[in-house]
Amino acid sequence: MIFNSVAFFAFIAVFLPLYFNLKGKARLILCLVGSYFFYGWWDWRFLSLVLTSTLIDYFVGLELDKSEDAKKRKRLLILSMVVNLGFLAFFKYFNFFIGSFMDMLTGFGMESSFHTLKIILPVGISFYTFQSMSYTIDVYYKKIKVERDFIRFSTFISFFPQLVAGPIVRAADFLPQFQKDREFNWDRTIAGTGQILWGFFKKVAVADSLAPFVDQCFMAPDTFSSMHLLIGVIFWSFQIYCDFSGYSDIAIGLARVLGYDFPDNFKTPYVSKNFSDFWARWHISLSSWLRDYLYIPLGGSRGGSFGSYFFILLFMVLAVVVTGWWWLIGVFVALIAYAWYYMRQGEKNKIKMYTYMNNMVTMLLGGLWHGASYTYIFWGFLHGGYLIIQRLAGPIWNKMLDAIRTPLFIQNALAIAMVYFATCLAWIYFRAPNFEIASDVITGIASLEGFNFGSVINKFIVLKGVIVIVILQLVELLNLRSPLYKVTIKNPYFRVVSFAILLWLIAFFGTFGSNSFIYFQF
Amino acid sequence: MKKVYWIIALLLLTFIGDRLGGRILKSQLEKSQFRYTRMYTGQAQSDILLVGNSRGLIFYEPHIEKITGKKTFNLSYNGMSVDLMNELVHDYYDRYSPPAQMIVDVTMCDRINDQLTIGFNSYSTYSENLEDFIIERAENMSDGAKVSKYALSRYFPSLKGNMGHGAKFSHLFRYNSEIFQRAMFYRTKTDKDWLLDRVINQNMIDAVVDLDTYFIDLKPDTTDLNYLLENLKDIVDTAKEKGTDVQLVINPYYPPFAKTITNLSAFKAEVESFTGMKVNDYSSAVTDVKGFGDYQHLNKYGAKIYLDKLRSDGILK
Repeated sequence: MIFNSVAFFAFIAVFLPLYFNLKGKARLILCLVGSYFFYGWWDWRFLSLVLTSTLIDYFVGLELDKSEDAKKRKRLLILSMVVNLGFLAFFKYFNFFIGSFMDMLTGFGMESSFHTLKIILPVGISFYTFQSMSYTIDVYYKKIKVERDFIRFSTFISFFPQLVAGPIVRAADFLPQFQKDREFNWDRTIAGTGQILWGFFKKVAVADSLAPFVDQCFMAPDTFSSMHLLIGVIFWSFQIYCDFSGYSDIAIGLARVLGYDFPDNFKTPYVSKNFSDFWARWHISLSSWLRDYLYIPLGGSRGGSFGSYFFILLFMVLAVVVTGWWWLIGVFVALIAYAWYYMRQGEKNKIKMYTYMNNMVTMLLGGLWHGASYTYIFWGFLHGGYLIIQRLAGPIWNKMLDAIRTPLFIQNALAIAMVYFATCLAWIYFRAPNFEIASDVITGIASLEGFNFGSVINKFIVLKGVIVIVILQLVELLNLRSPLYKVTIKNPYFRVVSFAILLWLIAFFGTFGSNSFIYFQF
Repeated sequence: MKKVYWIIALLLLTFIGDRLGGRILKSQLEKSQFRYTRMYTGQAQSDILLVGNSRGLIFYEPHIEKITGKKTFNLSYNGMSVDLMNELVHDYYDRYSPPAQMIVDVTMCDRINDQLTIGFNSYSTYSENLEDFIIERAENMSDGAKVSKYALSRYFPSLKGNMGHGAKFSHLFRYNSEIFQRAMFYRTKTDKDWLLDRVINQNMIDAVVDLDTYFIDLKPDTTDLNYLLENLKDIVDTAKEKGTDVQLVINPYYPPFAKTITNLSAFKAEVESFTGMKVNDYSSAVTDVKGFGDYQHLNKYGAKIYLDKLRSDGILK
């Protein structure tokens, strides 16, 4: 079931009155049944996966709590990882791994004949798997207390507002909120409703309105002019942002109405002044998950580990095999030699190099998390590269700007523009079905052939797109100055007018037809 | 209790704003010189009625009026589907005395375009037929995702297809379409000369050799295989009944592209057998590259060459 469907409105119309009229365990059971119904709307068979993940992590949690034996605890953690990542690997990456293995054999001149399987990707598997895993890891490290109530735990894993596309909520933040019944609260309902409406505006008025133009650009980029493609890429950057953050807003708003607090998942990411800032504003629940459960365990900015070396080497081998560019071996060998030399120059250098490696590994795996495709990995590679370049060149760049006494607002504008366009370049790989299309888009833009507005086809979508993007940016910038939800709670006049305006905007600009959310496929 | 008042205030404000906004947008729509505004506000009486999709836009009205000395009205629109056109043709005949001639580009029988149909909501207040048709087509629209046979949604009544009623619910939604935007674009100028002005680019010329074969699809996946052709026949029969001379044509394609259309002859034969009328095939009638805007559309220069040919062949009377 998707939020922007009539079915969902019917579901919520039944769910909400029941929810606020039930108490204690009955309410939790309603949440659980409602969540399973919400998920089963697509395919009830995959409920078995959610349930298995839930059962495994519930019992592993209980056993971890009972045992002080380090070996046993480690075995239990591995069991949870194997089951969760096993599901993920099978349903999401099986065909990709088989394909890569075949590429590798072919690369070495060996013939291979493996069969790929027709596997349906269960909606939102990456989200609930990460949520479930984080609980077990936190229990293992004794960061949180074990949850003994199975219904409460199952509801935490499958809570419908964020089950299929996040935000990924940590057990430490969310489980305690189930401890007591949430009463209906007018202020929370107002704030939640405002966020839901804003989420709908982002999804149906911005993302879905931009989608046809973007689809066209990435279907046959060689038939469009440079300007058309550039607009297509900019629209894509806003489409993905509004599609995903729109979902998050609806999920967070819905949870707020129900009485729960989810952390923010987006904070106006396209005003980021550097790439670390971008990742502190974009898909915050995933980037903080990767930071806490991958980057820091790898050593973070303080050291390296076996994992750092292992993943870097693995991706290097993959890059050579997939591209078939054997000369890359020379480049990688030179890089490794330089890194080895650099690290021998002192402890500071060593730490710096580990930080670069851990950044890159985290972003590469973050790319792979999004989907089983080399284009996603390359997207991760670009972001890893951006973070490294920022660490290397950032201080020099800042010194240079200071030296020529550039005013602060120009420095900021330059930084925002650079980060935005570099992010757009990476988005091209994220959207393109393959490297060929991505390269066609980039070369098409760079050719500057037809770099005028007259060469753009379907100017009406462009006009509508520009209007909704301007509205979006204006509201987000206002929101940065003072959070609008606080004003909606305090000022009833503002509330009524702003909600009505949002409803008018949705009616006038919305693209209706139950378009699915992009992040469901992840 | 105070909270209830605020909810009522919100609902009232939303409703009043929606109706007021709708009223303002309608008044703007009526000021437009866009073709469908002209048609629904009694300004489209013509001698020659022109029918097609984007390929029908090459019936360049200023040139036809110049070479024939007759008044024209072009009902064509980008992505027009023949079932929607059928409704528009009926609405035209309900409002005006029959034109002497109607020219139909039959290649518009290649799609059903329910999204465009819903866009015509802007004109639904002028025609009950059109309003009913939009509601009917909206009910046929898919939910956008393929439903698994293991989906729980299969055990519940379908809630899709409500977009057709959207215009009744919200008057702002009625004007939420490209059709309305285009009407605003032609608010202060005529759309009679709406036609591509560009020349096909070198990339497209070079890429034509690599194109896959193109297929005019008679939509076997629709509920009724003959749905599109039945609508075409209805257009033809309606016009003939009212004494209009009907000419069916296939408008020109860029010739190397026309060669990639593998079933053009079969398509033509199918249309001829269904309508009982001859289809005049001009698919390769224009050979000058400068006359094309892209593979499927002539530009102004090409349109004039083609229309002169129709005139000299006696199709355009």
